[in-house]
Amino acid sequence: MTKKLLAGAIALAGTALVLPACADPDIYGTFPVTVKGYSGSKTNSVAYTGQIARHVLHDSLKKLAGKGNGKPNPALKAEMMSYFAQKTPGRTIIAPTSKKKFVIKQTGVDQISKKKNLAGKTYKGNISGMPNNMTGPQLISFWIDKASSAKKGVDMANGYNYPQLISKFILGAVFYNQAVDNYLDEKMTAKKKPNNKPYKKGAYYTGKEHSWDEAFGYFGTPAHGLSLTPKQLYNIAKRKPGAEKYADKNGDGKIDLYKEYTFGPAYYAAGADKTGKTSYGKTITQAFLDGRKVIANADGKKLTKAQLAKLQGLAKTIETNWEKTIAEAVFKYAGSCYKDLAAIKSGNKKTLKKYIKHWGELKGFSLALQAGRKNLGEVGAKLNRLIGFGPVMPNQSQVNDIDSKGNYVKGSGSIDNYMGHMLKTQKLMIDAFGIKARMKDQTKGMDAMLKKLGSGSSAEND
Amino acid sequence: MVKFYECTKPMIIDWISQEYIPHLTASFTDPQKRVSIGYLFAAFIIAIIWITVAKKQTFRRGFVLGLKKMIGLSIIWSKSSRADYKLLLINKALLILLSPFLVARLTVATAIFFYLKEIFPYGSGIFADSPIWIASVTYTVFLFLFDDFSRFAVHLGLHKIPILWAFHKTHHSAETLTPFTVFRAHPVESVIFSLRGTIVQSVAVSLFIFVFGTSIELLTIYGTSILLFAFNATGANLRHSHVPISYGKIEKFFMSPAQHQLHHSSAKQHHDKNFGVALSIWDNWAKTLHFSHGEMGLSFGVKSELYQNNHSLFSLYLRPFQEVIKYPKINSETKPREENVVFKKII
Ligand SMILES: [Zn+2]
Ligand SMILES: [Zn+2]
Repeated sequence: MTKKLLAGAIALAGTALVLPACADPDIYGTFPVTVKGYSGSKTNSVAYTGQIARHVLHDSLKKLAGKGNGKPNPALKAEMMSYFAQKTPGRTIIAPTSKKKFVIKQTGVDQISKKKNLAGKTYKGNISGMPNNMTGPQLISFWIDKASSAKKGVDMANGYNYPQLISKFILGAVFYNQAVDNYLDEKMTAKKKPNNKPYKKGAYYTGKEHSWDEAFGYFGTPAHGLSLTPKQLYNIAKRKPGAEKYADKNGDGKIDLYKEYTFGPAYYAAGADKTGKTSYGKTITQAFLDGRKVIANADGKKLTKAQLAKLQGLAKTIETNWEKTIAEAVFKYAGSCYKDLAAIKSGNKKTLKKYIKHWGELKGFSLALQAGRKNLGEVGAKLNRLIGFGPVMPNQSQVNDIDSKGNYVKGSGSIDNYMGHMLKTQKLMIDAFGIKARMKDQTKGMDAMLKKLGSGSSAEND
Repeated sequence: MVKFYECTKPMIIDWISQEYIPHLTASFTDPQKRVSIGYLFAAFIIAIIWITVAKKQTFRRGFVLGLKKMIGLSIIWSKSSRADYKLLLINKALLILLSPFLVARLTVATAIFFYLKEIFPYGSGIFADSPIWIASVTYTVFLFLFDDFSRFAVHLGLHKIPILWAFHKTHHSAETLTPFTVFRAHPVESVIFSLRGTIVQSVAVSLFIFVFGTSIELLTIYGTSILLFAFNATGANLRHSHVPISYGKIEKFFMSPAQHQLHHSSAKQHHDKNFGVALSIWDNWAKTLHFSHGEMGLSFGVKSELYQNNHSLFSLYLRPFQEVIKYPKINSETKPREENVVFKKII
């Protein structure tokens, strides 16, 4: 009998171990003020306005980057720099803006948060995926300069789509980097930003509360994101007709960019999750929410070792899933480039523009992926080698350097080889990051065939 | 102080209702599964017809005899069969929980695909111009043959490698056979079998996509391969039953239910015979084929003093580990089937 019980207990213990986390929908909206000695009137300690302001700066910068007329344009360049590097007051929100029934509440950056910029929060390391070892801010400034004089921000001769390059790189070099390398990393240790002290003097939130909130803000999902499907999150970012209905949580008829809109990182997570094969967005948002609860429950006291460990575990979940969303994007655009190249090879001239756009997204995301907390080492080096400094163009040329004056230097490249590189890039993403959504999979039929076989009889034996 | 945010929903209930029960019911409804209801019904009909014809009975008598052999209480409610049901229920839970840790088929298939591209750069898409139906037929047949062969090979290993035999004994300890005996397997064996499935499917899919350059349709009926369907619909469930249908001369090519029953026989001369599943050509080739002949009066199970109480969950789940951990040396030096030697030492 005891033996029977033992076996049963083992089976049950196994069951308990791997149960999914509680999935009660919840909102990252209101958490009590717990900081000791606070005497102000605030009752909600959640705040991440600076992060949303930076999302808006990014969206606006991307829009500006596509406004060039093909000639050097210092005014445009200065305007772009004001969104990237300055803290100029009175900047308008160039994107996202209202679209028909999708009415956006804020029209100026300052309505969200004042004196914010992107450059100060951009990854400072050297970017080995581009020539001359530029730092993150240097590379973006270089691209801004190029974009300002390129027609609609696109260099058709060398194959650069600057709005895409700038935007995709910032998704990693600012948002992903700040979240996983700063707020969820050193600020989640015992020493930094303790929970028994305000984040800064006089603040109504503790060190840990605010650090966690800031990381959440960088992810850019609506506060009620957990109650939305990937498709809905995606539609909100696209400002699709009808999306205002589920975006406008408080029902005031306007979309509040601070808590009702989907920005870049969450948008790309939703893009992958739409396939139904992944749930990056949900996992990340749930982890943020769970972590915020841990901090709220500490009630303004110093976090215990166990609480810190719990937070660090959740931070890890957020980091790995976030990293995967970027790897999924690299995978997707490598697949798009492969397809475009096949079309270009068969003589379709219209594809070139698409190809350059896709390549910009591919390159931008591949650099974003390398702007995280850890050095990707060999994987990063391989990725940079496969993608190169520029796309292989229909005339079999490819940028292979940038000279000291900032001019591109071209060499020769082979489209066939480069198509092989695109496939290898896809494989590298699978091997290194274990991604699952795999959009634009060039080995796609495989998944469908395997699905059809089912796992039905494979474990049966006699 | 009251905690603000606590999760109160009992998760285990969710898991049972959303994961476990659906998986369990799928075993009886999914035409890819051996014991799905239609196949069980087909097996019944075949058993009754066979008893009527082969034993020259009236249909009425055949029907009664058939029922007795298939669902007689002494069979379906024997100690041995009750253990089968417990294993079915527990193993299902274990395998659901283990599945996230098993290597994904797509990962393996993709790796093989790229490996093929690497070593045969010019082999990619060499049959891309052949008609679709040829691709479909070859794929369906290849998959069936490869799958059947791999089952034979793994099964052979389970018998011949002492450590594996310790685990496979859980299956062979059945003393009454019902279609559900197919679930009487140690989880270690199930994991090995599912790895086998992963490899077979990944190799077949990646290879065919590679040479045909596109995805290929499997020939299916009710969503399952027509060949697997044919095997299951023609009484595969009788392999684990007390209805000894034999195929006569063609047992050289197709494994009959009686041949698998013989595989379960506790008689020494039947040990390590008939490892195959649908086809017996592999056994024929490996010289492990044994024809069946009419009523053989077989008795099933692993006979040894130690297996006196061989239907307890402890014995079925944990004894193999005990055997492997405590007596690895003895195990590797002893012939697999001589369990007496091993077990006497354990006791
Ligand atoms: Zn069997
Ligand atoms: Zn066997």
